[in-house]
Amino acid sequence: MSLPFKPASTAWLLAHELRLNWRGFKAGRKASGPGAFIAFVVLGCIILIGGIFLGLAVRGHEVPIIPLSSIIADLILAVILTLMLSTTLAASADALYERNDLDLLFSSPLAPRKVLFVRALGLAVNAGLWFLVPAALLLTPSIVLGHWAWASVFVVLSAAALGASGVGLLLAMALFALIGPRRTRTVAQVMAALIGAAFFLASQYRNLMGERASESLFARIALDVRDGKIVLPPFADWPLRAAIGQPVPLLVIVLIGAGIFLFAARVLGRRFADAAAATQGAETRKAAKGPTRAFAAGAFRATVRKELRLVSRDAALLSQVLLRVLYMVPLAFAMSRSAAHLPVWALAGPAAAVTFLAGQVAGSLIWITVSAEDTPDLLAISPTPMKVLRRAKLTAALIPVAVLLAIPIAILAWFAPLAALWTAIGAALTAWSSGLIGIWHQKPGKRADFRRRRTGSFLSALAELLIAFLFGGATALAVAGWYVWALLPLIVAGAVMMALRRTDEQIGAALRTAAT
Amino acid sequence: MTEALIVRGLNKTFAKPAVSDLDLTVHAGELYALLGPNGAGKTTTLRMVAGLTQPDSGEVEIFGVDARKNPAGAKALLAWAPDEAMIYDKLTPLEYLEFVAGLWNIEPRAAKTKAEELLETLGLTSEARRRCEGFSRGMKQKVAVAGALIHDPKLLILDEPLTGLDAAAARLVKDMLQARVDAGGTVILTTHILEVAERMADRIGIIAGGRLMAEGTLDELRSKAGEASGRTLEDVFLQLTSEAVAP
Repeated sequence: MSLPFKPASTAWLLAHELRLNWRGFKAGRKASGPGAFIAFVVLGCIILIGGIFLGLAVRGHEVPIIPLSSIIADLILAVILTLMLSTTLAASADALYERNDLDLLFSSPLAPRKVLFVRALGLAVNAGLWFLVPAALLLTPSIVLGHWAWASVFVVLSAAALGASGVGLLLAMALFALIGPRRTRTVAQVMAALIGAAFFLASQYRNLMGERASESLFARIALDVRDGKIVLPPFADWPLRAAIGQPVPLLVIVLIGAGIFLFAARVLGRRFADAAAATQGAETRKAAKGPTRAFAAGAFRATVRKELRLVSRDAALLSQVLLRVLYMVPLAFAMSRSAAHLPVWALAGPAAAVTFLAGQVAGSLIWITVSAEDTPDLLAISPTPMKVLRRAKLTAALIPVAVLLAIPIAILAWFAPLAALWTAIGAALTAWSSGLIGIWHQKPGKRADFRRRRTGSFLSALAELLIAFLFGGATALAVAGWYVWALLPLIVAGAVMMALRRTDEQIGAALRTAAT
Repeated sequence: MTEALIVRGLNKTFAKPAVSDLDLTVHAGELYALLGPNGAGKTTTLRMVAGLTQPDSGEVEIFGVDARKNPAGAKALLAWAPDEAMIYDKLTPLEYLEFVAGLWNIEPRAAKTKAEELLETLGLTSEARRRCEGFSRGMKQKVAVAGALIHDPKLLILDEPLTGLDAAAARLVKDMLQARVDAGGTVILTTHILEVAERMADRIGIIAGGRLMAEGTLDELRSKAGEASGRTLEDVFLQLTSEAVAP
């Protein structure tokens, strides 16, 4: 489909950029086609209905500009900005590494500044749309019902997207300068994951701080605000004023967002281009020093060692696993607190969650080791039986899971050894089962496609989830001491695994079918 | 004479026949060049020999081992290096060779010594502990060639081994292959560089439309093509393949 703009114009280039972004987004979805469309429409309708109720509720009321409302508006904007930053930071690195079209664009008669400006603008539009679309559905009824000035929220969001993109680009540039182009991608992905996880951890403050401490802190803040003890710094209420349409704060916020963006996209544009060129083959990684290790003996050990090396050097995978490890932190806190003060059945939920997460991490790792094998032909021409190689890959996938689980289970074992034992058994069974499903229902993919791996095999993704839930349930029941009831999900899980099982011949036949 | 490879009645059809009733014999200790235009069936044939693609019918025997009945036994004797290097970007050449040696179950100490020798021969010693992700295509190809040689295969199969190599690297690889043949090894290669086949191959097979059109030494091919002595392989190749394509 041709783009409805004059070729080589900024609008044409931006439309091209957005088309690629949209196709990348669609390719990364679990489902596509009418089902996904209906799901989006339903979700949109729910938000719109919420918006209508909101519009009716606030009709005739103005937002009071008081410390509490200002703090809430500041917090919302901070959350949105940070989430946008996590998107744009990773996207800035991806724009250099995963989209290999910069050489094509720079070799064309288009001005490099225009190319970079549009690419940066594409990042901003991408980040902004995630918030603008739901905001439009939520706020349009209120705007139509009389709060015309609230349309300024869209302007604030656009300015935030521009500002976040600018900061993302500047951070990427700083990383380039500090650690070199290749490591930037890794660090950017890890930082993006950490920013995302920070919100999860913040939402888990009750688990981290304990119910009493968190409640008293929250009550204290509310009281201080009511009594006027919290004095807001100057201009702290400007985000709220801008959102409700006051012209000066709105103009200032737009100027700040656009200014950061223009500074990043245009002033640093040339350096961005140089950094991009530096990633196209320049080698910055130094050779390892010190004595070389002895070679591993035999195919099994060599394969385990090779897989562990590849896993430890995979930036996307590390950031995903890191995220899941961070998810375990509040669980570990909750488990230790419950184990210390509550009866043992209170540990059932956290134990189930640890078991579930073990399956998820194992599922990711087995996808990397089995389905994302870089050189399947090399393995196929070797005389080593495929059975040995698969066993080695499963082992390599389970070793990091065991290392990750060691911490929460060790904490649990300190307080409640029996609960720790059941959790360890449940987590091991879930991880092992996820690994087997990954082997039985492997579907070759590229390592770079890790984030969209679930699209590879819907059945195996669903099966992994089901098995993780079943083993999680069995673990919870065992931890609570209801051993007989724990057998029930175990039996169902066993039956599901039997139904999913494939022989080597069946796996080979499925792979051949997929290849043709 | 011992036969390194015997192919009888090999057939493979994808959407259309890729290889049809192919018979091929490669003697032990020779360098055999398989030539053909794009889509002639060269790579499919070699993939079937290497056990990577299942033939629809036919037999493949490697040093007397039936590759279809005893694939592991046949694979232990051969190495396969395609035009796209089968390496891992995130591993160093030394780590890659460790893995390949493990796959062929080579004793670790001997494998390490051999790996270091190969990397030195290929001029990769200084890169031995640097990850392959920053390597040029030629360097990656050299790492793949080292991987193909680490287990000292009796039959080495290379698909376009000189693609992407600079003149010096191409010369190095050609010399290595020649040395291997001189030492009694068997090499089968495909190439679009006819001069390489002309200068290096003991025998040449020309394949087109999935069929072997002609086979023999350069002189034998010339006489089959009815050309006067002195014509180049390129002339012979173009004549034989155009005959195959002509209705």
